[in-house]
Amino acid sequence: MKQKYYLLAFAGFALFSSKSAIAQVDGTTDTGRLDEVSVTATGLKTSTRKMGYTTSQVQGKALTQSGEGGVIQGLSGKASNVQITKNSGDPGAGAYIQIRGQNTITGSNQPLIILDGVPVSNSSVGQGVDGVVQQSRLNDINPADIENIEILKGAAAAAIWGTRAANGVIMITTKKGKKGLKVEFNSSIGFDYVNREYEKQGIYGQGSNGKWVANNGSSWGDKIASRAGGPDSTASSGAHFIGDQTGNTYYKILKKKSTQVYNDKNRNQVFRTGITFNNNISISSANEKSAVYFSASDWKQQGILAGQSDYHRTTGRLNFSYNADKNLKLVLNGTMSKISSNRVQQGSNVDGLYLGYLRTAPDFDNTDYSGTYVNASGAQFLGVQRGYRKYLGDGIPAYNNPGWTLNRQTNTSDVTRFILNPEVNYKYLSNSELTVRVGYDQSNDRRITYFPVGSAGNYSNGGFNDQYIQESELSFHAINRSDFDLTKKLKLNTTIGYLSSNQSFYNIGGNASQFIITDQNRFSFINSTSQNMDPFNYYSQTLNNRVYGIFDFDYLDKLNVQLTYASERSSTYANRFASPSASLSYEFSKDVKIPGMSFGKFRMSAGQVGIAPPVYIWNTNYVNASSVSGWGEYMDASQFGGSIYRSSTRGNPGITPEMKREMEAGFDLKFLKNKLSWGITAYSNTIDGAILPVAVAASTGYTSQWKNAANLSNKGIESELSYAIIRNNDMTWNIYSTYGMNRNMVNSLNGTTSITLNGFTGTDSRAIQGYAMGELYGGVWARDSSNKMVLDANGFPVASANSAPIGNPNPTWRGSMGTNFSWKGFTVNILFETCQGNKMWAGTAGILNHFGIAPETATEFTVSGDQASKIKDVTGATIADKATANADGSYTVRGSLHDFGAGNVWLNQAWYQSLGGGFGPVSEQFIKDASWTRLRELSINYDLPENICKMIHVPGASIGFTGRNLWLYTAFKGVDPETNLTGVSNGRGLDYFTNPGTKSFIFNIKVKI
Amino acid sequence: MKKLTIKHGLIALGVVILGFSSCSKDIDTINKTNPNQFGGSQPSLMITGAQMANVLIQEGELARMSGIFTGYFVGADRQYISLNSYKMLSTDLDNAWNSLYSEGIAQCRLIKDLCKKSNNKELAGVASITEAQLLLTASSLWGDVPNSEACNDNILAPKFDKMSDVHKYCIALLDSAIPNVTGSSSYAAAYAGNFDWAEVANTLKARAYLRMKDYANAKAAAQNGVALGHDLNANHSTASPGAWNLYYDFLDYDRPGYLGCDGAWIVQFLDTANKNCRNNAKTDETPRFKYYFTPNNYTALDPNMVDGIFATTSNYALVTYAENELILAECESRLGSDANALVHLNNVRSELNNAFGGYSSYNISDFGPGQMIKGSTATEALLKEILMEKYVCLYGQLETFADVRRTKNALGLPDNSGNGKGLPQRFLVPQTEINSNSNAPKNTTDIIFSPVELFK
Repeated sequence: MKQKYYLLAFAGFALFSSKSAIAQVDGTTDTGRLDEVSVTATGLKTSTRKMGYTTSQVQGKALTQSGEGGVIQGLSGKASNVQITKNSGDPGAGAYIQIRGQNTITGSNQPLIILDGVPVSNSSVGQGVDGVVQQSRLNDINPADIENIEILKGAAAAAIWGTRAANGVIMITTKKGKKGLKVEFNSSIGFDYVNREYEKQGIYGQGSNGKWVANNGSSWGDKIASRAGGPDSTASSGAHFIGDQTGNTYYKILKKKSTQVYNDKNRNQVFRTGITFNNNISISSANEKSAVYFSASDWKQQGILAGQSDYHRTTGRLNFSYNADKNLKLVLNGTMSKISSNRVQQGSNVDGLYLGYLRTAPDFDNTDYSGTYVNASGAQFLGVQRGYRKYLGDGIPAYNNPGWTLNRQTNTSDVTRFILNPEVNYKYLSNSELTVRVGYDQSNDRRITYFPVGSAGNYSNGGFNDQYIQESELSFHAINRSDFDLTKKLKLNTTIGYLSSNQSFYNIGGNASQFIITDQNRFSFINSTSQNMDPFNYYSQTLNNRVYGIFDFDYLDKLNVQLTYASERSSTYANRFASPSASLSYEFSKDVKIPGMSFGKFRMSAGQVGIAPPVYIWNTNYVNASSVSGWGEYMDASQFGGSIYRSSTRGNPGITPEMKREMEAGFDLKFLKNKLSWGITAYSNTIDGAILPVAVAASTGYTSQWKNAANLSNKGIESELSYAIIRNNDMTWNIYSTYGMNRNMVNSLNGTTSITLNGFTGTDSRAIQGYAMGELYGGVWARDSSNKMVLDANGFPVASANSAPIGNPNPTWRGSMGTNFSWKGFTVNILFETCQGNKMWAGTAGILNHFGIAPETATEFTVSGDQASKIKDVTGATIADKATANADGSYTVRGSLHDFGAGNVWLNQAWYQSLGGGFGPVSEQFIKDASWTRLRELSINYDLPENICKMIHVPGASIGFTGRNLWLYTAFKGVDPETNLTGVSNGRGLDYFTNPGTKSFIFNIKVKI
Repeated sequence: MKKLTIKHGLIALGVVILGFSSCSKDIDTINKTNPNQFGGSQPSLMITGAQMANVLIQEGELARMSGIFTGYFVGADRQYISLNSYKMLSTDLDNAWNSLYSEGIAQCRLIKDLCKKSNNKELAGVASITEAQLLLTASSLWGDVPNSEACNDNILAPKFDKMSDVHKYCIALLDSAIPNVTGSSSYAAAYAGNFDWAEVANTLKARAYLRMKDYANAKAAAQNGVALGHDLNANHSTASPGAWNLYYDFLDYDRPGYLGCDGAWIVQFLDTANKNCRNNAKTDETPRFKYYFTPNNYTALDPNMVDGIFATTSNYALVTYAENELILAECESRLGSDANALVHLNNVRSELNNAFGGYSSYNISDFGPGQMIKGSTATEALLKEILMEKYVCLYGQLETFADVRRTKNALGLPDNSGNGKGLPQRFLVPQTEINSNSNAPKNTTDIIFSPVELFK
């Protein structure tokens, strides 16, 4: 089959013709879908043709071709109902994976990752509404090492992994040594740009009520064009500031005269072209006795944010197998990664980048972000911060100058990761084989967060956090597989296995503040007194084992029935619990000939997966007393001699495993001599007894209790289609598409009506009975019984006293469509992806209204004197009350006219800073459609012809270009909606000064040596 | 043809046996206890936590919101701007409400249960006083609140008790505590001051009776209330986050610029440049102005977080001599004895004079038409001055919001609602309680302007 065309339809992604020299260099030996092989949950291979459930396959080549540094991001758009959402465009940013909707509430919704048969971590620890964008641990792996990814979506496919398979399983197989000796070198350079930006008005200056006011937070000041022009008139003596960056001296402004607008200059302080260098070398070799694959890679990326934003990953891998005799094979796969990264503070955080940058008044120049403040008596203060809310540096600005955020604050992550998995395979009888695998995965992440003295907010006197997170898993997996011919027509394949794992998590670190020495940066606790230090640690360890059996009956090579039973025991639950499943496939095209159909299979499956409770929820614990307000101020018992009191989370000794039940059915069909392939699946699942800390009324003495509280369901359809329009020796042209829709519903929450998943007081993402998981929730307009907005005497709407569900962040459907074309060494791949119907909270936009930065706040209109005395603003003042008349008696004012239903009203500063802005109580107005369609990927590759390769004395070479996100269509303003403030948490659809997304241009060269 | 052999069975069996037998003891025991937290505590260790919650309630978000409603502060930035016109969200109260019950009242009741076992009546008394202060605060702000069924492991939807019943319960609670805490100032790590628990309990009782307009009982309680120099304060003597003044934390550390005083109603009475300034021949408010306010930190005039009332290590007044004396003064006035009322007012002025200088005692002849303190009658002028003095003395404190509503805004605070609805009369029921307690009353539109039971 090797030299023939093959099509990997179900991945929704077709590989190029194997005429491509590179495909051979890669040693890709997949045999195509006609008799292709899938990796099952055991890590062993089976014939895809006989499977009673769907999986999606993605070839390793598709990952590297995508140009993404992270494995997860590389999966975008390549499999149906597999939703990938990047946290942001920061280098090394993690991503959220969701397969067939959300399946648990407070547990991780992330699928289990199995790498070469052993579980590995894909955690993403610690992202909330502020701080930095965190990584996903799966992205530690070098994508170029991956041969193939198989995504097991349903309960039946994954049942043997029990608890951990609730959200599907991603089976990753790495490359192995191939016959001969092949050395390949691959080098690329990529350029990243911000792909969507907020527009800022440049018409009105800093200030309030139409007047310029120094250090004011808002841009509701005077009209810049109406100023006198020329330089501002300033004091010539007294307190002043000397900027470090330009050397300019700033005196107190006496009169604002300058008409300069600095929006572009301030923007250029923040963004740059991101550059990525990626080098990868691999050596593959094999003979009868052994096979070896070696690779080393170095990915070095400088982000688009013009400061300490980078990601540097170095990996090494050796996969070795040795055939001791013809029945005994020994394998060792191992990889290590070292990652260092600098991140930039984001989100709801006065030390975050976008918050200070976007709020900066248009007439303020951010260039000098640090310098020397000299007070009126001549005393000098070196290295202080200057920002638009403290232009003389005579105090800490309310928000960081973006220059300070990018260059002075440090947020590092240093990760070491190693994964080792020895394996032995013994074919002790002609029909029986025993495989034993041991896996060990460990990651160590040292994170430093450092705010120098002079940073805004809490860290004006310095702030430092140093923590060390260690995660490890030791796993053991023994599998016995025996095949029997029960009769001539009926075959039985049996798999009996035992799986155990020991997972531990350890986080140790400390916070320190109020630095003693203020002008030297040390990442050490030496610089704070003991009252200002706060050490912490957390340890958890869980044990888990499973015994399972898989019985696979095959009748005449066309009817296949598989029965699976897994029994699990977890240290977090006192009893064993079961995960049974059954699946059936029937290749009806062997019995019924349908014209044009070359292959037809019906499949269905049903399964149940038991999900063990989280650790340490049995008992009500006693914790260190601490009382914290939503604004941050708190009382800490360690400052008062210590106090240990009852936790406000009530334990539950009666907790039982969650049960996920899923059914699916579908067809795999091929037509026109296999040119057209189509797979379609419908599924439905319910999750009973989902465990979560249910919000309980605080008047009970607790604020939450662990309960088997929720019942969730998902149902959906997914389809993957591909069509080979042309395939001959010179040319291939394929189109392919994926489609997925999922409807999630929180059916009950057993005693409460909603649970916060993540977000803010006022607007958050919740589980609400009767709505999809993640539903956005917040303040709404008061409405009467006929659902009309209640208007006040001035004609303005009023806020309802109660919050309500306001938008579903889950898409109604997602799809992708692509084509690839190859001709004489040229290959072109184009992939479009779309996500429709998802809502997002435009938190940033609402705030930019408040500050008078949004262009919609910078319009003006003229009304007659008569109208001016009638049209009111939200405070009841008329235009005539607040403005002065033009010479002709008319009035021209900033803002806009709007009719809420009782005639025109004036939307002005008073409106945007109360009900009409992001700090007001009504978040309903900022829920926006965040549907998008994008050109996810465009790649062009050229294999140099043989004669040229000979000239340069290499067996093969290619050059290529990949563009990512080159085109994006979305009605959502200001930021690529494919970002999420709260990262890989279950809180979805939140935008609040999130670092932006990117588009990339990547050029690569590949040489076979 | 392959056949089943005994060998297959043995291997399969082996794998299964391995699976079940390796359920070592570890898997049964390793997660029984949480290595990161405790399984229980001692009541003497728990009381500090409950008192910390009380400090957060008295000095935190609720006090700032009340302060904006009562003319002490102005919301100057971001979310706080909406509060100036009394726009509040039910979710704004969630955090404070959670602290109030789960970290405060629930712990106090737990402490009392544990104290019964160890027969520690003194600690039980202290817990009762802490609980009473928390409940009185809740009941002032929300009116009816959960009490009789609250903090009971078996009741998931506690009913809301009437405001008057909650007050009666608190009075009884304080009465039961007083005999066991007389002369004691133990169990108060989060508190500071040379206080006596029994005096604190009596002043709290006086507060409750005053709200019920039971002046005789209020007077009787206050007569045993906080004595001069015996104020109960929140302890902020350490200049570190988690210990320092919570107003300071908000004003300077966490949310600089959100809360200011520029244009706050109180300022005119202390600002010597203002025609409404209280300065007269016997009064100089200049030092108190400086203690309360500081110019140009974040706004034109800020609450003094630099070197005054809300500075880093300034302790925060919880139950004071000044409040107690002014309760007495008001009760005496309302019970008809201006002479006695004046004594108590002058006691406060004397304390102020010791602290700031600039205050000398008033005579009854200083009050009335054409006098230093004007009014239609001396009695009326005196009562108004007592209320005014209390308003100024309790700067930043929650009890003023109760006084303003109880007296039907006798001082004449302006209505900033923008639509003539008047001053707020209550806080919204927190959304978390509505979501999880079927007995919680729902917030209706403009409920915030509807008076609570005792202040109708």
